[in-house]
Amino acid sequence: MDILLIFVNIVIFLALAPLFEGVIRKLTAKVHSRQGPPVVQPYYDVLKLLGKENLVTGNLGFKMAPVIALASILTAIALIPLGFRENFLTQYADIITIIYLLTLGGVAILLGGLASRNTYGVIGASREMITMIMVEPVLAMSFIMGAVKTRSLGLDSTMYSTLGSGYSWSLALMLLVFIMALQAFVGRQPFDIAEAEQEIMEGAFIEYSGPNLGLFKLYKMLKQMFYAVLFVTIFMPFLKTGFFIADVAIQLVEVLVVIVLIAVLGSTNPRLRIDQAVKYFAVLIFLSLAAVGLSVYGI
Amino acid sequence: MNSDFYGKLLYETDVYGNLLTAMLILLITAVVVPFVSGKRKLAGWLNFILVAIAAVVMLNISYVTVFESSKLSQLVNIGPVGIYFLVDSLSGFFIGIIAFMAIISAFYSINYMEHYPDYKMAGYYVSYPLFILGMIGIVTVDDLSLGFTISWQLMTIASYFLVRFEYKKKENIKSANKYLVLMELAWIFVLAGAFMIKGAAFGDSLHALIMKLGGMASSAQYLIYGLILLGFAFKAGIFPLGQLWLPDAHSIAPSPISALLSGVMIKTGVYGIIRTFFWMVPHSENFHYNGTFWGILIASFGVATLFIGTVQSMKQNDSKRLLAYSSIGQIGYIIFGIGSALYMFNTNSEMLKLLGLVSVVGVIYHILNHSIFKGLLFLSSGSVLYATGTKDLNKLGGLMKLMPISALVAGIASLSISGVPPFSGFASKWTLISTSLLAGGEVLFLVLFGIIALFTSAVTLSCYVKFFGMTYTSAGSEWNAEHEVKEVPVGMLLPKLVLAALCVIQGLLPFFYFKAIIGIFQNSKGSIVHAAFNNMNLNERVTTSMMGVSVNLPGMSAVSSVAVPAVVLIVLIAAILFAWWLKNSAGSKDRITDTWLCGYRSLGDDNRYRNRNVFAALKSVLWWTGGNVKE
Repeated sequence: MDILLIFVNIVIFLALAPLFEGVIRKLTAKVHSRQGPPVVQPYYDVLKLLGKENLVTGNLGFKMAPVIALASILTAIALIPLGFRENFLTQYADIITIIYLLTLGGVAILLGGLASRNTYGVIGASREMITMIMVEPVLAMSFIMGAVKTRSLGLDSTMYSTLGSGYSWSLALMLLVFIMALQAFVGRQPFDIAEAEQEIMEGAFIEYSGPNLGLFKLYKMLKQMFYAVLFVTIFMPFLKTGFFIADVAIQLVEVLVVIVLIAVLGSTNPRLRIDQAVKYFAVLIFLSLAAVGLSVYGI
Repeated sequence: MNSDFYGKLLYETDVYGNLLTAMLILLITAVVVPFVSGKRKLAGWLNFILVAIAAVVMLNISYVTVFESSKLSQLVNIGPVGIYFLVDSLSGFFIGIIAFMAIISAFYSINYMEHYPDYKMAGYYVSYPLFILGMIGIVTVDDLSLGFTISWQLMTIASYFLVRFEYKKKENIKSANKYLVLMELAWIFVLAGAFMIKGAAFGDSLHALIMKLGGMASSAQYLIYGLILLGFAFKAGIFPLGQLWLPDAHSIAPSPISALLSGVMIKTGVYGIIRTFFWMVPHSENFHYNGTFWGILIASFGVATLFIGTVQSMKQNDSKRLLAYSSIGQIGYIIFGIGSALYMFNTNSEMLKLLGLVSVVGVIYHILNHSIFKGLLFLSSGSVLYATGTKDLNKLGGLMKLMPISALVAGIASLSISGVPPFSGFASKWTLISTSLLAGGEVLFLVLFGIIALFTSAVTLSCYVKFFGMTYTSAGSEWNAEHEVKEVPVGMLLPKLVLAALCVIQGLLPFFYFKAIIGIFQNSKGSIVHAAFNNMNLNERVTTSMMGVSVNLPGMSAVSSVAVPAVVLIVLIAAILFAWWLKNSAGSKDRITDTWLCGYRSLGDDNRYRNRNVFAALKSVLWWTGGNVKE
């Protein structure tokens, strides 16, 4: 049963991540007063890309990058306790493992960008790395706050910490910081600086096409949903019923709420420059440090 | 008891005899090899063979002391003078890494030193074995006066000549002289600290020093420990002292020497700090060791070192300077681990004490890992220098096609040092960071330090993305068009492959290393953690199995933290296979095309994104950490 849950995670994510992406695109179009594509468009996009010819401009690193990116996020998905139910693999991972796995996905994008040998690709890679360095601590600290409370770095106990202890001022502060960093986690406006279509033409992805690009697109959708699930598990655990299917359903509805938030934030904010973003992230890091500090004192 | 007795009777290894034999072989090497130095290949091979023989003897000592029986201090007469030696498990561990890296580096030298046709090799082959001898001396002598001085001077002067090997460049002489002066200063600090102990005589064993120290008032410790810490901090490269000499000295030495300097020599400073703060501690009525103070002090310097060293590393354009600054950063992790372990162990909380033990295990583990991957990284940048003639990251690029094996090896080393699972850096960094985060429930500053360490490991990653990306991937530069670049010879690839394999093994089998390192502390008598390691049931608390390592905290039933690289790796491989299948599921074909050059006709240095531009926004925000590179 525990082993089966791993596949439940994977299937739910693979099945729904493109749908959530479609919702974002539809909502963004509505904000722009456009018609927008149908919500199932991202499924078509991925399927279409998989069937296209694969243009390769780089070496082995270029070919492996999308595979590693997708694999790293799938591994992270396989480990997390969706619907407050630990699966077979949850016990084998702690928060540091998860953070490193998410980093590995970013590294794969860097590898792809660098290996494409395109100047814009290298610029995109450089920006992606800067963003990663600056937002990873925020992610880490939302985990660490749970770890400090529960005296454990285990994935399940950390992610359930709010469920156990309820809200505190420090958690509220962390929630605020997490929302402020959310767009950067999922690489959307105002923090899609690494891709910046109008400026450096998708940055690290510039030379990618066909199945490689399809894999990257899928990776980004999965990552977006992953962060949304993380958000609802850590910060919105209160509608837990105890029935697995009901819990998963409730979480997915909550994820939809987060997705709407992402879409609204993304479509109403202009992109920042990388130097502006770095300063913004620095503030977030200090705020989340303050939140962790408060939580040590039980505030 | 019984088997122990028979063991002694049947095959008691004469550790001290063997140690002297190995030292003698190294001395002979230093005398013999220079005579054939006119024939470079022959001298290289002879040096390698003799050093390897001595190293094998030492590896045997290391094996015996780590896994079988730790030795007690012993007075060894060398000619007219008697010097106290101590080869316990901890010394054995350091002997092991020094001997191993000595073999690797000597083998690498055979081919590498060919690309210095303008320089005579006699000095190199005199200094090389003496340098090893000096390092072995530092980790085996059991005093802070006579034996220490001999070893320190041997190590310092021999390495000084190795650092100034390329003496025809003016700036190298300057850097080497600075190195020599600062190391002598460090020596004076340590010696001064030792002689502050009332009644300390020349040649006193550490044990005698501890007894004399115990007779003093507690307030004396601040000056004595402070001076000794200062001396060893110079050697280890702790901020701000390391920045004074380390990047200059490590980047100008020939690469196999840089590998030794960064891989093992700076660890002798770490060894000194561990010996001083965990062993040189008296138990007496009037002397109260202020472990929490020293713990906080050392941990604070460690955190400053790891953060600043790593950020400075990110700013470099010269690949060897990048590696050298990053050595400071990685030493910071080790020092931070030592400090937090010392602090946690000296508190009253049972849980913190246990975490302190785990942390000190992580320290030794990281020392081992860092020796391997930093040695490998220096050999890698040496290979690039050998093949291309430059170590400037602004000029390099696109070498993956030309040097595929070197690229693979450098990639593994980069992932290891960045702490990406399942490579070796992950396991040890996980131990260091997780212990301080777990301690955070009781001590605020440790959780903050842990967060800084975690943040810094992302910066480390960025350093090595740059190091690897700008050398091997990225665009093929004008440099490659003007120079003929080809893969380095097998003689240089072989040692790198061995080290790369170790990077993977050390990451995949943390349980083995945990067990061995716990054994080191259980066997080495006289340390403040010795009793705790034997009494606190560490084997029960720290579950080591094929799956990995997990720590259970007192009073909690759940497993508190887990690092399971093997399981994660299996899942990751399965996921990669799935992704690969998905990519090919629609049967799409690859077609090789040219890169779009953003409108330019060819990719020159003027229209590509060069190393100095990478991370510019981050560099400008972090300008205050120093180590900035002028254009």
